[in-house]
Amino acid sequence: MPTLPRPQRVLIASSHALFGQGLRSLLQARQKADVEVVGVVSSLSEALSALNRLNPDLVIVDYDDERLNRDEFLARFVESEKKLRVVLLSLHNGEDAIVYDRRTLAASQIDEWLEAWPNAEVNEKTLSDGEETKRIALNPRRNHMKHLIIAGILVVLVTTLLIVGMGQVNLLPVQASAQAVPIDRMFDLEFKVIYFLFALIVVLMVYSIVVFRRKPGDTSDAAHVEGNTSLEVAWTIVPLITVLAFSALGANALAETQRVDPTAMEVNVIGSQWSWRFEYPELGIISTELRLPVNKQALLHLSSTDVIHSFWVPEFRVKQDALPGGDVFNRDLRITPTMIGDYKVRCAELCGLQHAYMESPVIVLSDVDFELWVASQTGESADPVERGEKWYTAYGCNACHTLDGTIKVGPSWKGIYGEEGRMADGSSLTVDDAYLIESIRNPAAKIVEGFPNAMPANIAESMTDRQVQDIIEFIKSLK
Amino acid sequence: MSENPRVGIFQVGFVRGVLGLIVGMLVGMGVVVGVRLLMGLTAWKAEPAWVLGAVFSVFGFVLGTGVLDDWIQWAKGEETPDHPEANPNLKGWAKFLSVSYDHKVIGIQYGFTALVLFTLAGAYALTFRTELISPAIQFLQPGVFNTTISLHGIVMIGAMLLGVGAMSNYLVPLMIGANDMAFPRLNAFAFWINVPAAILLTLTWFLGGFDTGWTGYPPLSARAPLGMQMFFLGVYFIGFSSIFGSLNIIVTIVKMRARGMNYFRMPIFVWTAFATAIIGLTATQFIGLSFQMVMFERLFGMSFFDPIKGGDPILFQHLFWFYSHPAVYVFILTGLGVISELLPVFARKPLYGYRWVALSSFGIALVGFLVWAHHMFTSGMAAYLRVPFMYSTLLVAVPTGVKFFSWVATIWEGKLSFETPMLFVLGAISIFLLGGLSGPPNGVVATDLHLQDTYWIVGHFHATMFGGFVFPFFAAIYYWFPKLTGRMYSERLGKIHFYLMLPAFYLQSLGQMQVGLLGMRRRIADYDPALGLDFTHLLITIAGYLIGISVLVAFYNFWMSARRGEVAVSNPWRSRSPEWQLPSPLPAHNYDQPFEVVGEPYDYGLAGSQFVNMHPGVPQPEMPVGPAPAPAAAD
Repeated sequence: MPTLPRPQRVLIASSHALFGQGLRSLLQARQKADVEVVGVVSSLSEALSALNRLNPDLVIVDYDDERLNRDEFLARFVESEKKLRVVLLSLHNGEDAIVYDRRTLAASQIDEWLEAWPNAEVNEKTLSDGEETKRIALNPRRNHMKHLIIAGILVVLVTTLLIVGMGQVNLLPVQASAQAVPIDRMFDLEFKVIYFLFALIVVLMVYSIVVFRRKPGDTSDAAHVEGNTSLEVAWTIVPLITVLAFSALGANALAETQRVDPTAMEVNVIGSQWSWRFEYPELGIISTELRLPVNKQALLHLSSTDVIHSFWVPEFRVKQDALPGGDVFNRDLRITPTMIGDYKVRCAELCGLQHAYMESPVIVLSDVDFELWVASQTGESADPVERGEKWYTAYGCNACHTLDGTIKVGPSWKGIYGEEGRMADGSSLTVDDAYLIESIRNPAAKIVEGFPNAMPANIAESMTDRQVQDIIEFIKSLK
Repeated sequence: MSENPRVGIFQVGFVRGVLGLIVGMLVGMGVVVGVRLLMGLTAWKAEPAWVLGAVFSVFGFVLGTGVLDDWIQWAKGEETPDHPEANPNLKGWAKFLSVSYDHKVIGIQYGFTALVLFTLAGAYALTFRTELISPAIQFLQPGVFNTTISLHGIVMIGAMLLGVGAMSNYLVPLMIGANDMAFPRLNAFAFWINVPAAILLTLTWFLGGFDTGWTGYPPLSARAPLGMQMFFLGVYFIGFSSIFGSLNIIVTIVKMRARGMNYFRMPIFVWTAFATAIIGLTATQFIGLSFQMVMFERLFGMSFFDPIKGGDPILFQHLFWFYSHPAVYVFILTGLGVISELLPVFARKPLYGYRWVALSSFGIALVGFLVWAHHMFTSGMAAYLRVPFMYSTLLVAVPTGVKFFSWVATIWEGKLSFETPMLFVLGAISIFLLGGLSGPPNGVVATDLHLQDTYWIVGHFHATMFGGFVFPFFAAIYYWFPKLTGRMYSERLGKIHFYLMLPAFYLQSLGQMQVGLLGMRRRIADYDPALGLDFTHLLITIAGYLIGISVLVAFYNFWMSARRGEVAVSNPWRSRSPEWQLPSPLPAHNYDQPFEVVGEPYDYGLAGSQFVNMHPGVPQPEMPVGPAPAPAAAD
């Protein structure tokens, strides 16, 4: 490339003194003998007259300067067919500058360009092209799109990774009921949408943190972008439609879990502080374990004798609170177990001291095994002590009274029959039949000294007198 | 500088308050004893005596502090001097422990108390989390466990309400150009009533605790030990603070904005404070009401919620959640306002879609009133309510989404720097996102049947609370620290706090969500080893300890930096907001002369634009220009 013989002449056009003076010092420091700043002008008319008077080789125009109409300037000097270059620089956006030879350089490239420029050929073809007068955006759409495309690809990638990765993990317990099927389907859809939305926001944030960092020493502001109404409307409407669609799907899933089988077997589930009792009214069975035949719907009638409890087997998914207050507050829950096995029902509503331990076995059996169990349950024992021991667990006495002398919540039953008992109000009495009957039917009447008045008042509501007597026989047998 | 006489201990408001509390307690108990004797009953009955004693103790406390003094004068028809400060002789510690009418002092009192309660609730959490490392009871018996988790919940809620009060009361007048709140004495009262309320909550330990969780559902709460009453009363009086504080904020914003500050030129934080205050003013009554009804069940044998006597336990839940759901938006809206406020400063770019973001706060507040029964999907309430509440619940995602997208658009193509406040704001967004996204599975009834009362719920609300309040609260403290104290916090310690807290919190949240999905119920002292969740529980507890350590680092930072930190310039963040145009620390009366709003709050990147003119009426110095232009020819 031919070296131009004389120092290059630079004209700086800006009405901001700092711009002009700063550039002047910069150029003089960098280019030394090769560059001569021939003038600094601050208006369009000055610039145009300086073009004629001073004949510069390069004009650097302050892009931000509102007082310099750069379009007009470009139009004028193109007409004049001067052999020079124009560079449009902005102090507010260090990303790009515009060089009037139909190229856009990054700001860092301007350095190289400035260095090479005194030795470069002037491209005559560029200057005579009148089309170049149209306004060139300092940030061409290309750059916006580049960032959005890369970020978009990353979002898709991360979403896919999350869906595939999390899909390898068992997030939920095994699916053991018919009701769990639509629920798990909803979970699956929900998780996928969660992964996408998480990826969307976090990827865009991390991308910004990495790519749009402030360069050290740069105290200028970013582009003045206030908003975009269409975008706002879009990101309001699309989520609105999405949540409505989700709700509709959710309502469907809920309906599926409530599908009624008119032949369902009824089980009364009674929660008490702190045990469960299961009564099969049609079969005349009372049990501390919930046994169910597989693939048959069971209709559970939930209730409580005292405070609010909640029935939940995680593998079955569905949950329902058990309320006190009698028939009006009975709540139904339909469960169709689909997998033979042993599960646990654990109370899912904080119900006091032993809430953590309020659990019972749930055993799902084949049809045949279930029938065998029913037969074994209904043949009752002839021995009242044996029956009494059964009621001891069936009615939850064991939650608070031990048989071996240790103290749980209430007095242990070991050896109490016939003993002297000291009451909280200071009186004493002998533990006999009458006292025991009263203590079961009306627990608050007499409280043993040192023990809380914690026995539910209506725990024996559904006990027959025969059952109470069985319990007394059982207590008598505990020496 | 004149010598200040040494302040006697009995001039300190807090001390007088405690004395008043004790006197009030004794008087209240005395009244009960007296009435019972007159009625021919045995003199002492624990429950009514303690309840009336507690009520009187709260009034005794506020009376003792002196915060009612001016009002009492007015009630007697006397004038009070128009003093901006209750007791100008007090300085330093004594000032902050006494009644002040200055919103900045009150804001700091709120903030300091918030951090104290936060630490106490955090200690409760680490206690029961240590127990939960493995199955079986190691040291925390079920009864004590139940009280610990219950107090953890309510004390954290108190900490959040006070933190919101701190930010709103400190910042709103400064941001709108006011020299104080509309009602300075009411402001002081609304702060001080929290103190005896917090004392009552602590009193529960000595009266048998309570075993219902902070939600206090009857019939369990109707039968719980006496500590239950202290809980009900404590919350009741904290509610007073919310109601009066909210009223103050609303009137201040409506009536005291500077010239030129129309609603859409207010800093965005003021919008969120406004929306929060509307909720606080109108919804808080319901938790007070529901608790009061249980108190009357216990004291007078009434039967609102007792099914055996014709009441309905589900009614309590409707009343309770009608407040307690909007309450969560009280916890987070101002935090989200901090995020919106700080992002433009650290990205040097306008808040994207400012008007939409502003209105989204009101959108969230409005929709937030329509969703309460999503806490009751398994409660046995009328079945037909479930689907409508699912729709309304999922609808909240729409205005919340507007905020998220706006935040991303604000930082996109910005020029980001990562000082500690910005780190906490970015962390807040990602944590709040995690919490928010774990919401829809709860909002969809079918999946909620599995999730209700499990650790998934625990994970959901901890993430939303941390992302919506805790992280932004720390961001706000770091950000406004130089303005408050005139000194800069340690950037190194701030980063240590952040880089410990963020990953630890992610570990905690994801762990909680995982165990919840697999069957871990909430509020249980012991869990079945057969569930196989031991290891995750260990990780959750470790995460909790790391969070605690990071907070201690922050406290150390605040303490040391306030005393010995580098002296700060008045606007280290180069913010356009008016409070940053004042010197640091702030002058007692805020603005010498009212400023005038001459531009938009977030016009970063718009050359020559200004938000406020601090000295309207004084001619502005011209911007320097180059050599005089040649005579105009072609211009």
